[in-house]
Amino acid sequence: MIEIRFHGRGGQGAVVASELLAQAAFLDGKQPQSFPFFGVERRGAPVTAYTRVDERPVGLRTSITAPDAVVVFDPGLLASESVTDGLRSNGLLLVNTPRPPESLAAPPGVRRAAVDATRIALSHHLGTPMLPIVNTAVLGALARATGVVSLESLRRAVEQFVPARPEENRRAASDGYSEVRAVEGTGSATVSGPKARPPAPRLPEGPIASVSSETIHTSAWRTFTPVIHLDRCTKCNFCWKFCPDAAIEFDANGYPVLRLAYCKGCGICAAECPPKTIEMVAGA
Amino acid sequence: MAKLTIPAQELMWGGHSACPGCGPALAMRLLLKGLGPRTLVSIPASCWTVIATPYPTTALRVGVLDNAIEATGASISGLRAAADALGLENVNIVGFAGDGGTADIGLQALSGMLERRTNAIYVMYDNEAYMNTGIQRSGATPWGAWTTTTPVSAAVHGKPEPKKDIMGIVLAHRPAYAATLNPAFPEDFDQKVERARALVGPRFLHLFAPCPPGWKFDSSQTIALGRLATDTGVFPLYEVVDGRLRITRKTGGLKPVTEYLSAQGRFKHLSADDMAQIQAQVRTDWEHLQSREREDLGRVH
Amino acid sequence: MTWKVLSGNYAQSYAALLARAQVVSAYPITPQTSIVEKIAEFVSSGEMDAEFVKVESEHSAMQVVISAAALGARTYTATSSQGLLLMHELLHWASGMRAPIVMGVINRAVAPPWNIGADHTDTMSQRDTGWIQLYAESNQEVLDTVLEAYRLAEHPEVRLPVMVTEDAFYLSHTVEPVDVPSRADVDRFLPPREPHAVLVPGEATRLGSFTGPDHYVGFRHQVGEAMERVSKTLAGVEEEFREVFGRSHGGALPTYRTDDAEAILVTMGTSTTTARSVVDELRSEGHHVGLAKLRLFRPFPDEEVRALARQVDRIGVVDRSYTFGRMGPAATEVSAALYTAPHRPELTSFLAGIGGRDVTPEEVRRMFETLLSAAPPRTHWEDLEEAEEMRVHG
Repeated sequence: MIEIRFHGRGGQGAVVASELLAQAAFLDGKQPQSFPFFGVERRGAPVTAYTRVDERPVGLRTSITAPDAVVVFDPGLLASESVTDGLRSNGLLLVNTPRPPESLAAPPGVRRAAVDATRIALSHHLGTPMLPIVNTAVLGALARATGVVSLESLRRAVEQFVPARPEENRRAASDGYSEVRAVEGTGSATVSGPKARPPAPRLPEGPIASVSSETIHTSAWRTFTPVIHLDRCTKCNFCWKFCPDAAIEFDANGYPVLRLAYCKGCGICAAECPPKTIEMVAGA
Repeated sequence: MAKLTIPAQELMWGGHSACPGCGPALAMRLLLKGLGPRTLVSIPASCWTVIATPYPTTALRVGVLDNAIEATGASISGLRAAADALGLENVNIVGFAGDGGTADIGLQALSGMLERRTNAIYVMYDNEAYMNTGIQRSGATPWGAWTTTTPVSAAVHGKPEPKKDIMGIVLAHRPAYAATLNPAFPEDFDQKVERARALVGPRFLHLFAPCPPGWKFDSSQTIALGRLATDTGVFPLYEVVDGRLRITRKTGGLKPVTEYLSAQGRFKHLSADDMAQIQAQVRTDWEHLQSREREDLGRVH
Repeated sequence: MTWKVLSGNYAQSYAALLARAQVVSAYPITPQTSIVEKIAEFVSSGEMDAEFVKVESEHSAMQVVISAAALGARTYTATSSQGLLLMHELLHWASGMRAPIVMGVINRAVAPPWNIGADHTDTMSQRDTGWIQLYAESNQEVLDTVLEAYRLAEHPEVRLPVMVTEDAFYLSHTVEPVDVPSRADVDRFLPPREPHAVLVPGEATRLGSFTGPDHYVGFRHQVGEAMERVSKTLAGVEEEFREVFGRSHGGALPTYRTDDAEAILVTMGTSTTTARSVVDELRSEGHHVGLAKLRLFRPFPDEEVRALARQVDRIGVVDRSYTFGRMGPAATEVSAALYTAPHRPELTSFLAGIGGRDVTPEEVRRMFETLLSAAPPRTHWEDLEEAEEMRVHG
């Protein structure tokens, strides 16, 4: 059995990817299983999905804690250690990134693969620069790097199950397949296993919450980051007024200051800034 | 720094779980600015259940009570009764519910709260569909809009029924105050919140709350779209105090609704005829609103 | 204290008054209405200093008291039958919020067909909502139990909502002498609520919240732990009640003439009174029979039932409702409690008084005869033209 865990952000298509992979594996004559972790499903928020592929019907109904492959749709998610949690030492880390696979940090022994799925997606007009739909390109890369499904079945699955732009998505899958680059792991493989599941904590009585949500940082949700060019700023406060994330405050001179830990990169401040002093720059 | 045109206080924390460009998140931020810290907000199952972040965190610097989706009207009646019984003074009691939780499943409790004259502010944040469950149509979804339960086909152009007139329903209860608010106009928004806060009795705020993923537009366009909604007459801004209606944003002439509709993916299937039909309805509604305002003005003098 | 001839419903109203409930909310339903009419009078005359929120449904009534309790108020509501069923969703909210609400429930049959007679189907359907359930047999017990219920609900060891039930008409509309305690005595027994985990204006707190699997299990477990402490806490509360008022009601499972009994009937609510008289008759005729009253149904008094079983070979459980596809709900519970008992008596589930039929002395006598017969059945429906035995699960 091969177990694959997908890490993406809401809206990138990670859940659809896990299902498409299952459809493709079924076309290959395998017995797949796929399901999302249903948490806070929000556009931009981290999401996880799982696919198992086996010769026999899968006899497990649990989340995947020791994956053979981890697929990361957004390099921003690599900052979170939990992405590679439990990844088998002979496993694979596949990341959507323009950087070479050699630059990827991975646990010892883990093979690393990289594909610039964002560029592929945009070249086929899949999604917007703010939210490229990278899943079919990533799946093409995964098919090549793991051999878990054939490209032919993947292309057939895309054709049958992708509701919009099937032809563009098929081409993206093929491009991902041909462009992915993989390198061996570094260091000696260590036997690792899934992290022990912590027991549920003892709680104060009654479901009453009082910790500030500012202990949560949402910067990893961003695809684009605002940059304020203060030289042209008129201190009109529009950026502050319209920010849905309370991510803008003022310095002592009344200039806006970004609180980037809470900015999700929606771009409202840039769109609403009358003298257009705010620029949205790619990356978190 | 230029003088702030809305209150400086921030009672909504960052780190919340709203989607980028979320209209309801901005609406909550502006609402609390106008209400201040001595506010208790009752929130039913809705996007804001999740936006407010999971235990043990909370995204608001005020008291928040979770309630069942259909029970917001009753919940704020209970909070007000307790505040009165316990002698808690200067407390704003607020219900903050979505359009489904208000105009559909919560309509009975809303009507009950208005009828028994609960001294509280009921806020309906209107993103025009069940967004938290993934974009299913509600009674507040406009005619022609695509949702996952009003899929578009050759025969069906989105939702075949018109949007429920929640303000009409509320006004039939003769509330102390009712108004439409749009976060694209923060000063008008704040004035209405502060006016509502100062009044006693049942008050109702209908908040326009654009949803980028549900309406299918880029998250940077939330404010631009909000402005278009009002300037095309799709979501006119007005208030009703003691039964007297006043339009708070007057436009020389309405912009064509196509500007508003074509900015959203949920309307992209509409034909020119469909759009003309919407335009005609918006114009009729706008004329009704203006004539109601003139009538009410005549009544005063 | 003053003796008054009161209905069971007025006993509820007086208890709410004496407990100084601060927020009351209710929706009318037969046969509960006179409770809230009386409370409306109390509030209107100024005798009771409470906010009475008149709502448009039972669902809203329950939400009003949940939200009022969330701010620290002492609350009261009452309902019956369909109204209780409509509240079902919110009953879970109340226990999950740890809201110490006290609710009077008039046990009434559930439609269709429409029937307003006594029947326990309504409260039995709420067994798994995290509410403590106490069943009363007399109007005195109704009044006293409501006062005890506040102590129990607000007790730091418990903090759970309580429903105090009474049979439709047999108590709700039956008048009998009730010793109504003085306000001073009640104040001595029941001090003002000490709020815990409530909202405070000006403070950033969220009550209810949402959680993933990690925390959720902890909160569910907490409710379970609180339930585990109820039986013992009730015993302590009853002791204090006796100190102040000179009477109490026997805790979770009061027994009657069970020493050396060969057969014991377990009853709930008003059928207990009739059955007690029959036990006296049968005893005088030389039969070794006894009675146990299931006063606390949630949490279920396992220990007490097992102690009872130690001394008897035949137990019959009289249920005023039926779990379709199983047997009487109380019989099911007794049966489960006996699984780990060292001595397991024969058990018969009697279905009697369904939908408001009288549970007559003759019927109770027949139940004892059936119990003492050579091979008592697993379930036995009273009141049918030909007694029907259902052995599906026997």
